Amino acid sequence: MATLSPKEIMDRVRSQAERSGAAEAETYLEVVRFREVRIRQREIELLQQSAIQGLGLRIFRDRRMGFMYTTDLRAPVLDEMVNRVIALASQATPRDENKLPDEIPPQTQELEIYDDAVARLQPPEQIALARAAEENAFARDKRIRTTQDARCGMQMNEVHFSNTFVGYQTYRATTCWLSVGAIATDGVKKREGFFGDWKRLLLDLETPERVGRKAADRALTKLGAAPVPSAKVPVIFENEVAGQFLNGLVGAFSGQNVLENRSFLAGNLGKAVASPLITISDEGLLRRGLGTRPFDGEGVQTRNTVVVDRGVLSAFLNTSVSGRRQARASTGNANRSYDTLPAIGPTNFHIERGGTHPDKMISEVAKGLYVTSLAGFGIDIVSGEFSQQVEGRWIEGGKLAQPVEGITLGGRLAEMLLGIDSVGNDLEYRNNVTSPSLRFRELTIGGA
Amino acid sequence: MASDRPISRRLFLRGGALVSSAILAGIPRVPWLHGDGSGEADAAIMGIGQELRDVLNEETVNRILVEALTRGGDFADLFAEQRFRTNIVLSEGRIESVTYGYPRGAGVRVSRRNQTGYAFSDEIVFNTLLDAARVASAVVENQSPMSPIDVTRRNVVPVFPLALPVPLMDEARKFDMLRQMDVAARAYDPKIVSVRIEYIDEVRDVLIGTSDGGYFVDRQFLVSVACTPTAVSGSERRSGLSSLGGRVDEGYLVSVDPERVAREAARQAVALLAAGPAPAGPMPVVIGPGWGGVLVHESLGHASEGDRVRRGTSILAGQLGARVAAPTVRIVDDGRWPHGRGSFAIDDEGTLAQRTILVEGGVLRSYLLDKQSAGLLGLRSTGNGRRESYRKWPIPRMTNTYIDRGTSDPSSLLSGIKRGFFAAQMGGGSVDSTSGNFNFAVREGYWIEDGRITKPVRSAVLIGNSLETLKRIEGIGNDLSVEHSRGTCGKDGQWVPVGVGQPTIRFSEITVGGTSI
Repeated sequence: MATLSPKEIMDRVRSQAERSGAAEAETYLEVVRFREVRIRQREIELLQQSAIQGLGLRIFRDRRMGFMYTTDLRAPVLDEMVNRVIALASQATPRDENKLPDEIPPQTQELEIYDDAVARLQPPEQIALARAAEENAFARDKRIRTTQDARCGMQMNEVHFSNTFVGYQTYRATTCWLSVGAIATDGVKKREGFFGDWKRLLLDLETPERVGRKAADRALTKLGAAPVPSAKVPVIFENEVAGQFLNGLVGAFSGQNVLENRSFLAGNLGKAVASPLITISDEGLLRRGLGTRPFDGEGVQTRNTVVVDRGVLSAFLNTSVSGRRQARASTGNANRSYDTLPAIGPTNFHIERGGTHPDKMISEVAKGLYVTSLAGFGIDIVSGEFSQQVEGRWIEGGKLAQPVEGITLGGRLAEMLLGIDSVGNDLEYRNNVTSPSLRFRELTIGGA
Repeated sequence: MASDRPISRRLFLRGGALVSSAILAGIPRVPWLHGDGSGEADAAIMGIGQELRDVLNEETVNRILVEALTRGGDFADLFAEQRFRTNIVLSEGRIESVTYGYPRGAGVRVSRRNQTGYAFSDEIVFNTLLDAARVASAVVENQSPMSPIDVTRRNVVPVFPLALPVPLMDEARKFDMLRQMDVAARAYDPKIVSVRIEYIDEVRDVLIGTSDGGYFVDRQFLVSVACTPTAVSGSERRSGLSSLGGRVDEGYLVSVDPERVAREAARQAVALLAAGPAPAGPMPVVIGPGWGGVLVHESLGHASEGDRVRRGTSILAGQLGARVAAPTVRIVDDGRWPHGRGSFAIDDEGTLAQRTILVEGGVLRSYLLDKQSAGLLGLRSTGNGRRESYRKWPIPRMTNTYIDRGTSDPSSLLSGIKRGFFAAQMGGGSVDSTSGNFNFAVREGYWIEDGRITKPVRSAVLIGNSLETLKRIEGIGNDLSVEHSRGTCGKDGQWVPVGVGQPTIRFSEITVGGTSI
């Protein structure tokens, strides 16, 4: 079977499924090439290289759904898997909405998500980039003597798709990355600073100079950090932290979670759920975006969806099935790999750029907290609770002051979103969920 | 990092905290495991004793390992794996999806001191794996080749017997169990508006060949069922979570009573509807038994793992013999704990599972080591070399980690606390092992006032530091419980099942991340 093309493998599996009684069948075949180099203390610590191929088959029979996946593409295995998944589907509960998407296949778009330079990246170049990034962390300050490691990676994904109604579709995409975990020491304590960049195109990737330097600076800033007393104060999330916060909220915008009553935003469509300064978009067609692709996990064209428009909740994200259950169209947000069912997830999800420079956001705060790191499982999209372990800098008289750690931040998501009083002009795309810096009128510090 | 929720697979394009993770899927029937099929397909989708060992017998494994070490290196291994996974989701009273997965492949590792080369293939074919061995060997250069290798089959003895493992049960019983749980959770209270139940099981076959002469085959069973009901009252919405599972057989299902488990999740969701603001700031804290062990997992477990220790980037590096906890504290990592999610007969490098005392009398006694970190530290592997799958190389990981039992009556641990916090049910946690700063979430918490548990409070994180928090233990209950139904630990992009545990424990002070000052 390995000698057949992806299209031939999918055609064979799909027609086998349809012959065996599936009313509708969908195949998703993924081929991934991946290589990562890790450098630590100027030595190669890890060289990993791999090629992955896997196939997922979803079938509908009598409005019941079944799914299987495998990395074993030998013909007798696939035949047996098809038979089993058809038998399996009879165990599921039927649902009228269980069928393939009605949406038309996508038009060709120039999305710029594939770069031959990334696909051709060789180990010596990756080693050189990672070495240079680590070297720049060391060069930044003599208090940086070790790193967790420096990493340089490349990945090339090919997606092949077809279903009973739509012909064969395919796309390929690349990702490259460069990161350093730098460790600063004052002779007694050690603190780690991490900085990494992920891009579709090699030319867009941050330079080793910047990656090494930023990781070093993050580590150095943490030396001498201590708790501050418990207080209710204005709080600024640095852009990367704001993106992490937004990532914790994405599930609340899932149409499936709304159907299951598992989102604090359920029942709020058309209502103000955030400050009028906030517009949140899922931008599936963003050029060079890390979450960009021409079609989603069930072959539906990706698109741009505004979920919060100047503070008002305007849409939820849907797949074709969850959309149909709410009499809405799919938003092209079926995320998946070959080994998972299509499930709602973001493409490029972000809070739109505001007008305020981060320095100005800080200068307007008399006493407050500037957050540079957020950790913990304390963002609950069902109850709307927010509680996190944070690190950052104290703000005193409009200026960044001493480093802070060993404290928590607490609030309620609904109040936090409504209480945003400043949005930064510093949106960056180092991840598929991103945000500019955000300032919250008041959050609670649990401290010393 | 440890999560208490079923992990769904999504490739996050970032490093650090968020990494790719795995979903588990599968068909309800796995007859080929019983050996009742004889057709071509059953020969292809087969048990560990058949095709895998035909392709990867002692002789072919020797040749692959010799190829791996032709450029030098001091160790090489081959790891082949196949998994049969079943995943059933029940939601809104319906069997929403049933999926079945069969991932398989093999990887070759070459290492020299701290350097590792790794390559794998989804195809278990001799020539492909020879290629993988060459790719992996690129990490070492200009060294002299290793002498001939002679792997010998070693017996793998199960550490606890399983009569009929749950993954091999007739699938109709799995569906029935989920439906009964759904009905029980809904019937608990009319405020329960939705119930989601996720069933995941797997049969994992592994074949390991090592250049130090080992050749092992093993079969591992695992199941997890998580029940998450949502309760609504007015504008308040709360979810509960309880679970069952582990490396268990059908007898376990009788003793654990799935309907009782479902009602417990419903009870949590309804109880929390009345929750007020959680306190903020440091105060006396009492943490309940079982999953509360996420505290020791984050605070001490990760920092004791050999990779960061040998790099000197863990806060516990160089601390063997140092006091890290109150004098009454014993901390254990036990890869042989009966039915533990983190239990196995051999780890993913072929080392026998063992019970490791990490802390005795409050003093750090051992690290958790794989072969590489043990070699670099001049110690022996503690049987903690684990990997997520054949696509990853082994690194030191916890198995089932717990604070051992004490002597106190759990209820006595509340006495004398004027104003404090009681954490009844915990969620996930994470740690920065360089600084030792860690956090873990409380799912169900209460005020302690004048030595009694009073009002429920909203969920919040608790935070601490590895070198300080365990020294603040003031009392340890006699009610040790090791949770083995749902823990999944993520590190360096690899997720593995783990157990955590503790008895009820009282701390003089922990910082609580609520909103009430």
